[in-house]
Amino acid sequence: MLEAEGLTKEYRTPQGQVRALVDVSLGLAPGERLGLVGRSGSGKSTLAQVLAMLLPPDRGRLAVDGRAVPGWRLRAPAELRRAVQLVWQSPRLATDPRLRLREIILEPLAAAGLLPRDRRARADLLARWTERVGLTGELLERYPHEVSDGQLQRACLARALILQPRYLICDEISSMLDVSTQAALLRIIAEEQEARPLGVLLISHDRTLVRHWCTRVVELADGRLAVPAGSGRAATPDNEDQEVNR
Amino acid sequence: MTGVSVLEVEGLTVRFRVPRGAVQALTDVTFSLGRGEILTVVGESGSGKTVLAHAITRLLPLNAEVTGRVRLDGEDVLALSEAAMQRLRARRLALIPQSPGAALNPVRRVGPLLLEIARVRGLPRDEARARLGGALRELGLAFDAVAGRYPHQLSGGMQQRVVNAAAMAAAPDVVIADEPTHGLDADLVETTARQLQAIAAHGAALLVITHDLRLARRLGGRTAVVYASYLVELRPAEGFFTGPAHPYGRALLRAMPEHGGVPIPGLSPELTALPRGCPFAPRCPDRAPVCEEAVPPPAPLPDGGMVRCAVHAGG
Amino acid sequence: MTAPAAGRAGRPVPALRLGTFRRLPGPAVLAGAVTAALVLLALGAGVFRPLDTYTVALDAALQPPSLQHPMGTDEVGRDVLARVLHGLRVSFGVSVLAALVALLVGGTLGVLAGALGGRVDAAVMRFLDVFASQNHLVFGIVLAVLFRPALGPVGAVLLSVGLTHWTSLARIVRGELIALRGQPFVSAAIGGGAGRWRLVRRHYLPHLLPALVLGFVLLFPHAIFHESALSFLGLGLPPHQASLGNILADGRRSLLAGAWWTSLFPGLVLLAASLAVGTLGEYWRDRHHPRWRSELEL
Repeated sequence: MLEAEGLTKEYRTPQGQVRALVDVSLGLAPGERLGLVGRSGSGKSTLAQVLAMLLPPDRGRLAVDGRAVPGWRLRAPAELRRAVQLVWQSPRLATDPRLRLREIILEPLAAAGLLPRDRRARADLLARWTERVGLTGELLERYPHEVSDGQLQRACLARALILQPRYLICDEISSMLDVSTQAALLRIIAEEQEARPLGVLLISHDRTLVRHWCTRVVELADGRLAVPAGSGRAATPDNEDQEVNR
Repeated sequence: MTGVSVLEVEGLTVRFRVPRGAVQALTDVTFSLGRGEILTVVGESGSGKTVLAHAITRLLPLNAEVTGRVRLDGEDVLALSEAAMQRLRARRLALIPQSPGAALNPVRRVGPLLLEIARVRGLPRDEARARLGGALRELGLAFDAVAGRYPHQLSGGMQQRVVNAAAMAAAPDVVIADEPTHGLDADLVETTARQLQAIAAHGAALLVITHDLRLARRLGGRTAVVYASYLVELRPAEGFFTGPAHPYGRALLRAMPEHGGVPIPGLSPELTALPRGCPFAPRCPDRAPVCEEAVPPPAPLPDGGMVRCAVHAGG
Repeated sequence: MTAPAAGRAGRPVPALRLGTFRRLPGPAVLAGAVTAALVLLALGAGVFRPLDTYTVALDAALQPPSLQHPMGTDEVGRDVLARVLHGLRVSFGVSVLAALVALLVGGTLGVLAGALGGRVDAAVMRFLDVFASQNHLVFGIVLAVLFRPALGPVGAVLLSVGLTHWTSLARIVRGELIALRGQPFVSAAIGGGAGRWRLVRRHYLPHLLPALVLGFVLLFPHAIFHESALSFLGLGLPPHQASLGNILADGRRSLLAGAWWTSLFPGLVLLAASLAVGTLGEYWRDRHHPRWRSELEL
């Protein structure tokens, strides 16, 4: 289980304190497909980064398979950090423009010192992941600006899965992509789940997608977690106009 | 097709010269659009659909080579001088940009900004005010409620409406919306769809560019599918969403999560190295030997639509 | 989709291609030509104009410019052109080393401040403020005097230039790093398990390279001037390693005797060298890194 308890996170902005997360408790089981929906600005991305141990919460606890995460940021133990991997919404922003796709995919293993020393073993490993995410060897030698968003997001997914994480957090991974690429990415994740009990948190504003792909759905609204009602909270032009008068 | 077409695109082809060769962004695209009509162009990122919007408005970068014809009320847009083109963009051809937040000047209040845009579009001051008010009202917003605010003080949905109103006010002949629902929540998508329909009902020919298939279905009108620089299918939306004629169209619909989420095997071809035959052939389940020999010509469909497929031509 | 042109042209490292030269403005072309000519002359000084340092030819002293001595002779009869060419070589050499010292100090402190942040950052920035608030020349003279006994004349000059010219570069490096630290790809690298050292090596340094290269180019003319000033004041290089500064100092003595050429020509060459390199660097900065305009100033 990836367990979060009482996560609270506030940001200080010129307009005052903004509560991104308010007492959020959440459990993600191995092999599960949990969906998280919410409007933009509801705190979804903050939650994703806290769960991936990239952002320390103000309050609350996080545990991975019973092991509490003690420190934060760079101090979280590397093996805990590797167990929870995050795939970002924009593959453009989430990849170093100066690295080739091949380096991007292998970088986490290299950082962990887990890269096979043997040249051949390394090439095999890379070839296996290239095939799994549907890329080609030719694309691996390119820089991010030389491939499409969809191809780059496939590389990002390979980068996350190559560490064999136990939990995968997908933060709007397909909201900038077309449906066929979206289907391909979800198929890759599903295949990984068939092979081993990978717990997946799929964060999206697309309720139809989440409803069809996930086994369980929770909703985040103004930083608070709720079980979604049958229909989403629809903003009428009226209450939206009031937003401005706050 | 209803009425006389105001926008006619014929054999439009766009190539970009790049250090590695040439990128084929659009190949032989032909369609026409009448007043009050909606045409939604769908396709994946990198298929050439944004280039279509920029080619019609002549906002392409300098390394683009454009051939073919774009006519606005019979006038050859591609042959106009830059000054005439600027007038055209100001008064008759409106482009609604992808992110309204980024398109509004952040240091100017919305009211003066809108009035200036309207003046550029050739409206006298009093009339500009009245028309903007009318356009905003149609979109569910009062001019005085937003005029004194800065763009960042408006919500995303309101920014979108302000940009739409600016496009509507001068009553342009053609409105092009580029990814109008990019990054919007589901309820705002619905609002945006209603507004786009209002723009068309206002009398404009509306061209919508999007990767959102649900938006295309919601908007109605006609749907055009772009794949690897080609227009492969152009149909009334209802016909397309109930029975697409091109194998790529069928595969796209099956990839929607509500229809099974089945991915299309393989990757799209590189626009720098398109195959000799049908660009979809390598990924196509219905591929025949003839598909790899030449790109099939557009074939008419019974419902007035068009499909570019050697196997499914005519039915 | 992004228009391919925009997407493809968005190379992170602006590569200098042949095509770019065609669009260079006149001053940049001129500066490039002057720089290239001066570097060639300095490198080939021994070939073009062999220098006989020890021969004193008092009968040929203080001759005005002629065909044989285009820049005249000095008070002991040495050919000024030969001295200037060799001085240029010495000045270039010392300045390259001095700019490297400044680069090393500024780069290291900038990386420390930017990558570690917090108290380290605050400490480095206060330290930087102290250095930046000093008058470069006065402070440089003090440093040169202080270090001369321990490090010898050359070491003192290098340190004097290095310790007075590192601040702007440190500011840029720190600023770039802080901007980088907020990028999602850095978070992604941290999420992938990258430690601090790996972030610096794999992600930060490659992004900082343009700033470092540019910093070096823009520091170079400063270093030439600073070194010359120190030598002119007798705090720089020893007379047998005459740099442009020493030559100017020698020439000053002859001015009273009416010999303008011993001062004018070395002075013009000094001016040309620093202006040419400086113009090139500024042009490169404005074209590719306009944001650094306020920080990297001549």
